[in-house]
Amino acid sequence: MHLSLEHLLAVRDGEATADAAGHAASCPECGAEIERLRTIQRGLAALPEDRPEQDFWPGVRAALAAHRNRRHWLAAGWAAAGLAAAFTLTIGVRGGLEAWHEAKLSRETGELVAASQQLEQQLRTYGSAGRVVSGRTAGTIVQIEDRIALVDAQLSRAGSDRVPSQDVLSLWQERVRLLDALVSVQTSRTAYVGL
Amino acid sequence: MALNFFEPATVLHLGEPRGATTRPAQTTIVDELVLARAKAGNEAAFETLYRHFEAPVYTLARRLTRTPHDAEDVLQETFLEVLRSIGRFRGDGSFAGWIRKVTASKALMRLRTQRSRVPEEELSEELADAIAADRNHGVTPIATAPERLDLEAALARLPNTARAVIWLHDVEGYSHDEIAAMVGKTASFSKSQLARAHARLREMLEPTSEGPCT
Ligand SMILES: [Zn+2]
Repeated sequence: MHLSLEHLLAVRDGEATADAAGHAASCPECGAEIERLRTIQRGLAALPEDRPEQDFWPGVRAALAAHRNRRHWLAAGWAAAGLAAAFTLTIGVRGGLEAWHEAKLSRETGELVAASQQLEQQLRTYGSAGRVVSGRTAGTIVQIEDRIALVDAQLSRAGSDRVPSQDVLSLWQERVRLLDALVSVQTSRTAYVGL
Repeated sequence: MALNFFEPATVLHLGEPRGATTRPAQTTIVDELVLARAKAGNEAAFETLYRHFEAPVYTLARRLTRTPHDAEDVLQETFLEVLRSIGRFRGDGSFAGWIRKVTASKALMRLRTQRSRVPEEELSEELADAIAADRNHGVTPIATAPERLDLEAALARLPNTARAVIWLHDVEGYSHDEIAAMVGKTASFSKSQLARAHARLREMLEPTSEGPCT
């Protein structure tokens, strides 16, 4: 009887039992299968390297800087308001559908900014309680904070337009989602949240 | 400093025993001075490290996750974590190996949290078709493409776990025990996923042939 795929892989990887290795050495068909598995492995390893289409260094650098001022967006207070300041008062100058769309984007973004502020307020309350945090929970908190810092870096680059774009709206949605996760972690002390 | 981070093709020889020697990043040497400066918080050194590792980190993230967007997020999260905690990197094991581990763990976390949201098989198929169409400028699928593109499209079609396991094991050189620890399963789970991945690849690459000898 020939070797199963799992055994063939074990032989290829030098991890097989003596029996399996013995069979592979004397069976041309299994030998050919193992060779085929090696060819696939080489083919995978030879796939070309990929590069991101845009440069993400500026965002990473900005997020790092934000981290250096630890908990910047909590300590400073109303970080959401600061990020949102550029487009809070947008009234469509143009008429018709475009103005309606702009007003809708502004309103939706405004709602998300308000939600952000509320969540930040909650976090300041929990943060000052000074409770002990387990290592695992601390790791989760830092991960979420990292992602918020990345979103904030993108927002501060995108925030100069008078009217928020769809991208900006999406960033605010992401920000609220992350803050919400952070509040859950803080309140429930669960290390795992569905990010 | 020439850095051949992920030149795995050159280190995977026929019949070479598996294990640490096949792990591409271990061939990488990071300039100790750059590392020391980065540990001291030097921003120019941070950027140097970013530029060095940008492509290999992105590539690994791209292979493990579903979309370029996922890979971009993993890239940023990885560098943020690595550079933020670089002061604690003690240098046992290579720096490249550490970065790779962080990348893999961020990517796997992303797969875990996405699992409940999208039926993965459908999305993988869709993605694979998109890749094939893109590479062939939307004209002819797979048949006329070079062989490695077939393999890339087939890889993208694999279910998430099988794809991650075959990549981490066959290309990155992680052992089944190491993969088991990373995905929170057993080594035999990793072995069966590897076999599953190879079986599926074979179906996709040689649709007319019989399965492996049984
Ligand atoms: Zn046989």
